Amino acid sequence: MQDITIDKALIGLSSALILTGVVVLGLVETLAGQPYGAAPMTNEAGEILATPLVDPNIRTLLVILGVAVLGLRALVRMAQPVERDTSKPTGATAD
Amino acid sequence: MATKAANPLASDVEFSLDGPLAAYWLATVRVLTGWWFFHSGVTKLLQDGLAYSYGPMYLKGMEGTALGPIPVLMGEHLAWLIEPGVPVFETLIGLAIMAGALTRLAAVGGAFFMTLFWVGNAEFGHGLVNGDLMGLLLFVTMGALAAGRYFGLDAVLERTKLVKRHPKLRYIMG
Repeated sequence: MQDITIDKALIGLSSALILTGVVVLGLVETLAGQPYGAAPMTNEAGEILATPLVDPNIRTLLVILGVAVLGLRALVRMAQPVERDTSKPTGATAD
Repeated sequence: MATKAANPLASDVEFSLDGPLAAYWLATVRVLTGWWFFHSGVTKLLQDGLAYSYGPMYLKGMEGTALGPIPVLMGEHLAWLIEPGVPVFETLIGLAIMAGALTRLAAVGGAFFMTLFWVGNAEFGHGLVNGDLMGLLLFVTMGALAAGRYFGLDAVLERTKLVKRHPKLRYIMG
């Protein structure tokens, strides 16, 4: 039961981190005005006219952490004992 | 009934990998993903052999990223591994994904590469979601869905005596 809870918590945390980094903060960035992307806006001379509200490093870090949590979940599962298939074959002849 | 209790979203539109379209499509995407990496690796091998010097140089240029000093340190101290490793591992990852053999292990490798490319290229002018992130997501998807079990060699390998004796091997297959 506890294993299932931890498993679900890790999967949920992973999704939350990835979606926060990309979607939630992407929406914040869009509502905050230009630049709508995650890179500074420059003119033709290369001068920076506007920078993103949220540092793209923070957003990419959230996504990386989300993927890392999935990796952690895989390691947790690998560390657990494998459940043996104890089911009996069906269709056995009556004796 | 038991399925509905476990999955309240289960309905007529539930995604089911035992359906013919999902299984064929997953196998198709898997082979395309594998070919993408295989082509990238094998062309580097043909062009530069085992001396892909751009690899360490690329990593050394990754200053001020979300990965901190890790890529720069890798570029400075692991050039002996990275120069042959980038083309060789890209080729092997591509072959494994295409064949569907050791799929999850290969997917982890592919995701590692794509994380470095996504953060290193940092082509975020149109937002964080770009081709590099999509590549990263493809590898995560291949691993999460155990794509090698659908028309891949892992479906055969998982039935071998070795895997039955050591069932934990399935964690790197599928």
